Amino acid sequence: MKLKKIFTNARVIIVFIAIILAVVAIFPNFSNDGVAIRSIKPNSAAGISGIQNPKPTTAPMQREVIKAINNKPVKTVADYYKFVSALKPNMTLQLKTNKGIYKLTAREKTEIIVLNETITKFVNETIEANETINGELKQVNKTITKAIQVPKTETIGLGIVEDIGLEVYEAPKTNVRKGLDLQGGVRILLKPEKKLSEKDMEFLLAGMKERLNVYGLTDIVIREAGDLSGNQFILVEIAGGNDKDVESLRQQGKFEAKIEDDVVFSGGNDIKYVCRSADCAGIDPSSGCGQSDDRWICDFRFSITLSQEAAQIQAELTKTLEVVSSQSRNQYLSKKLTLYLDDQKVDELSIGADLKGKAVTDIQISGQGTGMTRQDAAFDALKNMKRLQTILITGSLPVKLEIIKTDSISPVLGEEFVRNALFVGLLSFIVVMLAVLVRYRRFVVAIPVIFTMIAEVIILLGVAALIGWNIDLAAIAGIIITVGTGVNDQIVISDEALRGQASAASGLKERIKRAFFIILSAYFTNVFAMFPLLFAGAGLLKGFALTTIIGISIGILITRPAFGDVMEILLKE
Amino acid sequence: MEEQEKTEQHPGEKPKDEALKNKEITEKTKKEEKETEIKKEKKPFNLLSSIREVYDKHYKVLMVFPFIILLLAIFSIAFQTITTGDFINRDVTLKGGLTITIPSENQIDVSALQEHLSRQFPSNMVSIRKLKRAGSDTGIIIDSDIGEADSATLGLFISEIEKSLGTKLEREGYTVEFIGSSLGASFFKETVRALVIAFILMGIVVFITFRVFVPSIAVILAAFSDIVITIAVVNLIGMRISTAGIAAFLMLIGYSVDTDILLTTRLLKRKEGTEMERVLSAVKTGVMMTLTTSIAITVGMIFTESDVIREIMIILLIGLIADLMNTWIQNVGILRLYLEREHKKKLAKNEA
Repeated sequence: MKLKKIFTNARVIIVFIAIILAVVAIFPNFSNDGVAIRSIKPNSAAGISGIQNPKPTTAPMQREVIKAINNKPVKTVADYYKFVSALKPNMTLQLKTNKGIYKLTAREKTEIIVLNETITKFVNETIEANETINGELKQVNKTITKAIQVPKTETIGLGIVEDIGLEVYEAPKTNVRKGLDLQGGVRILLKPEKKLSEKDMEFLLAGMKERLNVYGLTDIVIREAGDLSGNQFILVEIAGGNDKDVESLRQQGKFEAKIEDDVVFSGGNDIKYVCRSADCAGIDPSSGCGQSDDRWICDFRFSITLSQEAAQIQAELTKTLEVVSSQSRNQYLSKKLTLYLDDQKVDELSIGADLKGKAVTDIQISGQGTGMTRQDAAFDALKNMKRLQTILITGSLPVKLEIIKTDSISPVLGEEFVRNALFVGLLSFIVVMLAVLVRYRRFVVAIPVIFTMIAEVIILLGVAALIGWNIDLAAIAGIIITVGTGVNDQIVISDEALRGQASAASGLKERIKRAFFIILSAYFTNVFAMFPLLFAGAGLLKGFALTTIIGISIGILITRPAFGDVMEILLKE
Repeated sequence: MEEQEKTEQHPGEKPKDEALKNKEITEKTKKEEKETEIKKEKKPFNLLSSIREVYDKHYKVLMVFPFIILLLAIFSIAFQTITTGDFINRDVTLKGGLTITIPSENQIDVSALQEHLSRQFPSNMVSIRKLKRAGSDTGIIIDSDIGEADSATLGLFISEIEKSLGTKLEREGYTVEFIGSSLGASFFKETVRALVIAFILMGIVVFITFRVFVPSIAVILAAFSDIVITIAVVNLIGMRISTAGIAAFLMLIGYSVDTDILLTTRLLKRKEGTEMERVLSAVKTGVMMTLTTSIAITVGMIFTESDVIREIMIILLIGLIADLMNTWIQNVGILRLYLEREHKKKLAKNEA
């Protein structure tokens, strides 16, 4: 009777639905053998075989996993590399993944040598031309063929096999992403171009960290290093290990917008605001993507707000420019605004005639990305946009950095740690149940307490899997505090519910309501205490605060109301 | 029993009138209770009630202890800061240290090497990780907190590694780098700033909940005392703190707040029973909360094989013990003093 009441209670049903959703999000599959594909090098043997390059946002269990090569099963990363290292040029191999079968041909590694002679090459070029059609001046596109001289090249084979272009890792067993502490990653040693003072070094590290935050990579450790001979290094460790992420860190990111040789504004301080939301940043809807030769090109654009000083400089520089009418109807100024990133031209922007001598603060920045397919080009464009935005927000680093070496490292806390942590967690659950049993001498209290603890951990991990945040040491601390707070709250509810049973001074419902006053006050105090830690720079504090806030919120919103109702049903005479 | 003692002490005394007799009895009871207090070890039966008596009547005296301990903790942390330049003993993850990279194609027994080095250098922290390339081992990285200036220890350290590995390391065979803290120089400044804001926000929430100033301060003071006392004790037992330890200190805020809010609610919001009865009911619930957590933590501490988990557990256990004192003596004392003052104010108002 009471059981039926419990399982038809709306709040209890919500807990069960949450648990089911969490398990779906975690998607555990402990027999998921094989090696998952981390990334594919463009134009490599793997790249042209049709395997899709996984997006970084893809959930771990949705990644393509190589199950067999040439019908022989691949279970570990070592298995995979055994196959790959035995490859000879022009050998074919059949990759069987969970999504399909691909045929790859290993290519010979080649080198292109530029010879000392030139050959004539014909290229097609599209130009805009004015033509008189029916007595009216019109602008038309014309294709002309041009002959150009290019140096003659020769391709020679080196007799060894070229990298097939796949980067793999052990196939994940759940959707919960493990952090640097638990999973390991790549360790990259960078060297600054010139020796830095302590203050500059601090500035450099701060700048790199800021970039990481903008770029959305949180599970990274950056620190200073040095060797016996006094060389300076910067050590970067990244969870999971996609060393391509380091590229955005490494770039000095000297961004300059120039009119001829005069700098109008540069990245960092000159820029007040960089738009990163969909309405003012993304693939340019007016020009979009187009095909040229065998490649696709996509344009991106986003708007920025300049500081008043930078706008003033722009006004000064544009005052003296002439207004010219181009072939189209729009009128532009005679010189263009050119964008440079690390001294390389990114894009050229025409300046509208109406902006002449005006101190405008809102400017649209554009650029492009290329790729073999339309999708690749769009992906590339968005990646370039993000990089440019990051640089504009954070400004440039004081020096260029050079990569000295890249290594994969095993985690500080390995498999052994996870197993031990699970064992200790289970043990603590049993101990808590015994303590509650000894205190209240009732299974009707002890069993719901334990059930709630387990439910909270599962739901919390489900949320972690869903929003894709890394479970590391800080997150584990957050899980412990969530469970601890949960037990505390349940003791408050049980005590309050059982206390009045003897005196019966007030109704059961009333007493549980009072317990919730205490629980809610403690909850809000805790959340507000964690809030400032979310904004403290280091990842450790952030991870801890985020996990704790989400964890205790799950408790207060989902599990605690159900526990209160269950107590009410079970203790009612 | 009181009756009996009375007759024993005053043999042959004639019974007086009822009212006087009753008065005498109450006086006697008070006197006797003071006596039992002194001889409490002889009368274990009365131990609980006499503790309750002291807790009830002498809370002002008891309050001295948490404040003395808090002051001692602050002094010891100040002393530590002056002598070592740091308010905690930071380990390699926080302080930085030495990284030795040894490339090796051979399988290296990392746990055996770890054990050997830990035994040879008990005062230094050593952590070893594997380097991998293309799915196979390519070497190891040894992190330790040996200082840059300490080249003699470094030489010794290298020779111990050689001994454990059973091979001679050529000078070109390994690289030594000095690494900085994984959290960066500004981490502590940022943490302290975040904590100050956290405490202020906590105070505001408690203030909004209870609409009174003193109890809000008391909750913050209790959380602050918990952390400070725990830092002092951790320093005294010579424990080194890693990044995990920092997380553990933050966890103390959460555990501290729970019991303080429970106490404040029971004492200020409830009207049933006497003030002391409400305190005792809060003690019953709150101590159960802390005990359950402490038992779970102790079990975790004993059975874990991971140094990181053990570090978190030790810090939490010390913090929870400090919290028992700071909630049930310090915070109770402040709240009761506050209620007493409010009561007097009310009386004075009524008289006027």
